[in-house]
Amino acid sequence: MKGIWTLFSALIRVTVRNRQGLFWTLFFPVVLMVVFSFLGNSTSHINIALVEPRGTESPVVTILQKSPGFALHPMSRARALAEVRAGQMDAALFVPKSATTAPTTLTLRYNNANIIAGQETVGSVTAFIAQINVALSGRPPAYRVAAAPMARSRASTYLDFLLPGVLALMVMQNSLFGIGSGLTRWKEKGILRRFRVTPLKPVEFLGATVLNYIAVGLATSAIIIGLATALLHATVVLPLLALLLVLLLGMACFLAIGFIVAGVAKTQEATIPIVNLISFPMMFLSGIFFPVSSLPKTLAHIVHYFPLTYVAGALRGLMSGQLTLAAPAMRTDLLGMVAWVAIAGFVAARVWRWE
Amino acid sequence: MALPDDRRTGTMAEMGEYMHQAALRLENLTKRYGALLAVDHLNLEVPPGQIFSLLGPNGAGKTTTLEMTEGLRPPDEGHVYLGDVDVIRHPAVARLRFGVQLQTSAFFELLTVRETLELFGNLYPNALDVSVLITRMGLDEKAAARVEALSGGQRQRLALGVALVNDPEVVFLDEPSAGLDPQARRNLWDVILGLKAEGRTVVLTTHYMDEAEVLSDGLAIMDHGRVLDAGTPRELIARHLPGAMIEVDPAVGIGSEATGIPGVTSIERREEATVLVTERLEEALVGLVAWAGRERRELRGLRTRSATLEDVFLKLTGRSLRE
Repeated sequence: MKGIWTLFSALIRVTVRNRQGLFWTLFFPVVLMVVFSFLGNSTSHINIALVEPRGTESPVVTILQKSPGFALHPMSRARALAEVRAGQMDAALFVPKSATTAPTTLTLRYNNANIIAGQETVGSVTAFIAQINVALSGRPPAYRVAAAPMARSRASTYLDFLLPGVLALMVMQNSLFGIGSGLTRWKEKGILRRFRVTPLKPVEFLGATVLNYIAVGLATSAIIIGLATALLHATVVLPLLALLLVLLLGMACFLAIGFIVAGVAKTQEATIPIVNLISFPMMFLSGIFFPVSSLPKTLAHIVHYFPLTYVAGALRGLMSGQLTLAAPAMRTDLLGMVAWVAIAGFVAARVWRWE
Repeated sequence: MALPDDRRTGTMAEMGEYMHQAALRLENLTKRYGALLAVDHLNLEVPPGQIFSLLGPNGAGKTTTLEMTEGLRPPDEGHVYLGDVDVIRHPAVARLRFGVQLQTSAFFELLTVRETLELFGNLYPNALDVSVLITRMGLDEKAAARVEALSGGQRQRLALGVALVNDPEVVFLDEPSAGLDPQARRNLWDVILGLKAEGRTVVLTTHYMDEAEVLSDGLAIMDHGRVLDAGTPRELIARHLPGAMIEVDPAVGIGSEATGIPGVTSIERREEATVLVTERLEEALVGLVAWAGRERRELRGLRTRSATLEDVFLKLTGRSLRE
């Protein structure tokens, strides 16, 4: 057992010194999240092209400007219509000159190409104006709506959807490339043989290697989650123990598959196409970027059994706050992962070669 | 080197018994790759405290033999004993007592020299002091350097240092001087002779005849998985080429007809010289001069010398070692 820790601490040192390796482990998850969080942010408030005559100081406009849900962009009538038509503005608001006498008609022009977005804009502006009317009347409103979100249901952004997927993706790449490619390289270079003539048991060597990749996977997960919640404002639930269990199970799946690759391939070069062949279809189909349910039915039926589908599904269930480990839907994912660990582990043990 | 206590305090009879025990004994060692017999019922004994070389052309089975001896490759038949330890049955015990430098020794490129030696030292219950090893291998200036920054010779020295980290009784070196410049080779020879001076047994394979001749107390010449002959360099030369060698320029054109020259036992036409083997040098020289007179040839490049290990190797294997 002492041998495992000796080698493990040496491997951690090697991993931390491999700056290039660390960079690429973090690069994709971070870039993906940053890009998509910016795309997501653009829809968080309503852009309104404001057209009003010079010198007008309408109180409505002042109130609208102060409200965080709207962004007002003063411009000419012609440009406002053009930008709404082009989809750059959600709507154009025309404020007439005689805005001091009531009731004043505010004209809102919106683009009907996207019906839902268009209705949402109209609804938001109308509701907001109604509030202003009530406030200006000086009388208390007859009814008030107290809106509260259901427990465990929130408005979620695309980043919230993406974060568990990105984690699952990282877990796959780290484990699959680490064992599949990294271990094969050590085998090819003769590092494995060198340890085999020491008292270190082969199981201890593999144990230390596996622990190294698990440590990297967990540390990377923590960095990704930290970055997404602190800097990019992802709102996710973090049941730490359940997450740890799913992450470890997910890693076990892909470590076992990695061992199959390392057992079959003779050189590191030979592992690259194999690893890509395994990881690419899952990366695009397993519900990382879009839900599996949006795939054609037959395809979705197959994709459902992919290991990454289980990992991403379980992580998303936990992090969205919709599922706990005990939920029936979660049980499918957990059992799926266990099955993959068992099957891939069995195959790996059969094809593994020390030389 | 620390010897187990029983070796020092035993009775004379026990000591005598110990003296007879080989440091390493291979019995009927056999390895097949399909139909190919890579190692064919090989028997060898290496007395303690000796430097023993395995010589053979490429594909002779040296590395396979060494790998079976180190417990890296299971033999199809036969036994390996390291002292009284059955290496095949108890590899874990044997590994504590031998050190290995593999033909291609790779280490983690991002660890330093010191870290590498510490890593391997920590795998053994008893390890030598790492700082002492570093100095001994001449790596003081490189102790804090990463493996990736080492030259070929420095890597070789690190590999040798790792082979010694457990203070082994027996050290296996698979082509330790491959790829080294002449100066680095001389330094390596000093280190290997130093290991012997400490009482360790060294088993090495090599491609260099001069190396084998300078270092070896005993050697075995292998080909086709078998030991063709074994002994000290002197014994081998005396057994196979006891006489002298007469060399002339190949352009002289001495053919098989010259076997008739009195005193000449055999003739070899090598690229660099035609070599006449004789056990009666004077008689053969007189006969050669007389033959040249009759044939009207000039004996260009004529010289005599005693046989070398290389001559024995060529005679036994029919191949040059570098082939």
